[in-house]
Amino acid sequence: MIEFSALDWIWSLAFLLLMVGGAFFFYRLARRSESDFFLAGRSLPWWLPASSVFSTHTATDTPMWVTGVIYAHGLRGLWYTFFTAWTAIGAFVSARIFRRSLAYTQAEWQSLRFGGLGAELLRGWLAGWQFFMNMFILGWVGMAMGKVCSLAFGWPIWAGLVLPSAITAIYTLAAGYWGVVMGDFLQGIVAVFAIVLVSLVAIYAAGGPAEITARIAEMGQSWRLDPFAFTGWSEGDFPALWWLTMLVIAVVGGFGMGTSIDWYVEAQRIQSSRSVRDASYGLWAGGLVTLVRNAFWGASILAFFVLLPDIQNPADYELGWFRLGFELLPAGLVGVFFGAILAIHLSTISSHLNLGALYFTRDLYQRYLHPEAGERRLVWVGRAATLVLLVGSFFYGLMMEEITRWLIFALWLMMAGIWLPNILQVVWWRFNAWGYLSSWIANLGVSWLVVWILPAFGILPPLADHQQFWLLMGLGAVVFLPMTLLTRPEPMDHLVRYYVMTRPLGWWRPVHQEAVRRGLIAEDPRPAEQSPRPLIRRKWSADEAQAWSREDWIAILLSPLVYGCVLFGLVRLLLLQSSGAWLLLAAVAGSMAIYWVIDPKLRAVSVEYERQQSVYATALARQMKWEADG
Amino acid sequence: MDKGLVTVIGMSIAYAASFLGMGLAWWSWRRRR
Repeated sequence: MIEFSALDWIWSLAFLLLMVGGAFFFYRLARRSESDFFLAGRSLPWWLPASSVFSTHTATDTPMWVTGVIYAHGLRGLWYTFFTAWTAIGAFVSARIFRRSLAYTQAEWQSLRFGGLGAELLRGWLAGWQFFMNMFILGWVGMAMGKVCSLAFGWPIWAGLVLPSAITAIYTLAAGYWGVVMGDFLQGIVAVFAIVLVSLVAIYAAGGPAEITARIAEMGQSWRLDPFAFTGWSEGDFPALWWLTMLVIAVVGGFGMGTSIDWYVEAQRIQSSRSVRDASYGLWAGGLVTLVRNAFWGASILAFFVLLPDIQNPADYELGWFRLGFELLPAGLVGVFFGAILAIHLSTISSHLNLGALYFTRDLYQRYLHPEAGERRLVWVGRAATLVLLVGSFFYGLMMEEITRWLIFALWLMMAGIWLPNILQVVWWRFNAWGYLSSWIANLGVSWLVVWILPAFGILPPLADHQQFWLLMGLGAVVFLPMTLLTRPEPMDHLVRYYVMTRPLGWWRPVHQEAVRRGLIAEDPRPAEQSPRPLIRRKWSADEAQAWSREDWIAILLSPLVYGCVLFGLVRLLLLQSSGAWLLLAAVAGSMAIYWVIDPKLRAVSVEYERQQSVYATALARQMKWEADG
Repeated sequence: MDKGLVTVIGMSIAYAASFLGMGLAWWSWRRRR
């Protein structure tokens, strides 16, 4: 238990009032419409979605699992956090395509990309999945807060689960997504301050950067400082094949939608951005700040390892970052630290409450139960769904602790079976609703076989995570590829409408040609004054900017490298290793190059798209009411 | 309980909500067509 002084309580309460009050302040905006309650009216500049991306993905359980992998694996454990890097490419590919679709949710996007009954079944499927998933995440994160409050104050677990989440619900119910995103901004500032402060204090307490590296070397564990300390190709606890698999999942996953469980949350942030350009920068910056956070945690957990190197039980060392804050900070700052813990908890809870309510309201209630519902009614349905999610998460957290522990793993497997279809649905015109739906359903059966039935009967040996990923992906493809090719393509009218609206990347030539034939887009635009084409084009007409070009590919290729340089450059700099400074310099240069290359194009895309957005929005509203062909 | 069994049970629970959503979509589609 932690001793709280009067000053600590004052700081904690002040932070709580600031965060809750600051968010609640926006309730007048939220009540105006469904668009305001769930997307802040699609009006946010890039830095607000960016802070929300960071804050949402800094949950109470995040420092626990990051601490766990770094305490166990040293700096190579940072690769476990590199799954965030899907935003590196996602910012310049899937974010642009999704923002242009105007879909409120990923489930709605399915009905724009695909058509007919298959699209509706997919929409219902994903909406049900996301309503459940958000309740599950709320319960899981709430349980983590219960454990932290138990550590800090000796409270029973249920109190830490229920009280902070209930406080969060006050402003989420009142101010909807406006409250969420404004709260996230305030909470993000508090969280970054605490993470940096605790990291620096921990490094100092362990004797400074040089002492940390020297002590680790003395213990004969210098491998902890090497992010590439593989234990072999496929053997040991850090095989190179796992690392390669992780890179493929994370980085290539940016071409798809839903390749990471985080996508569904980010999709809301992308759609709430005021332009395509803001959506791209918001996602990119949010992912980057998340990796900066991981670098600070990496250095502080190495310090924690030096201070307490003999902890064997993961449940004990996973609380390392919380212990650093509670045990090393002086009276007064402990209250600030607890305020930061509240911040990271509130931001995640509020986001998932609002997101789960969005799927219920938009995709289940409005689309399938009451398409004619007015704006005020939809806002109230959103509030009711928020309340149901909150109460459901309490039961989930308290009753399903054992199941949820393994469900995390199950969800990872889940992503394995649909990872490739999630990319194909974005980049391949011929992939259809039946192929995608079959991949989800096949994944359930295949996972039963690979994870339990075959190993239980000794037919298949227990497999490592990366082996399971590739096997599940291959077996899934055996189902969804024939299903796609044996069923009809989506109707060309539907595909052309989607293509003109979103201009997706990939293999869309037949649809592109049909759109050109109908006079909806220009063929291979190339202005006479710019011929021959400059190596990097920085002046774009509206038509030119719509097509994917080498400028996009430069951003796509540089972006993951910048992410990697930031993550490992910063952690090395915190340990005063000179390579850290060079890596960070490379990251800065890379970021500037990306901006220089891609910004003119993003501006042109945004200006042209916003000119047409109201027409698209009207068509979407008609489709929601079943007045137009889905 | 066996880790693999618990995993697939957890996964099946997750799928149950999806089937419910899909059932609602199918019901609505039939009603409007």
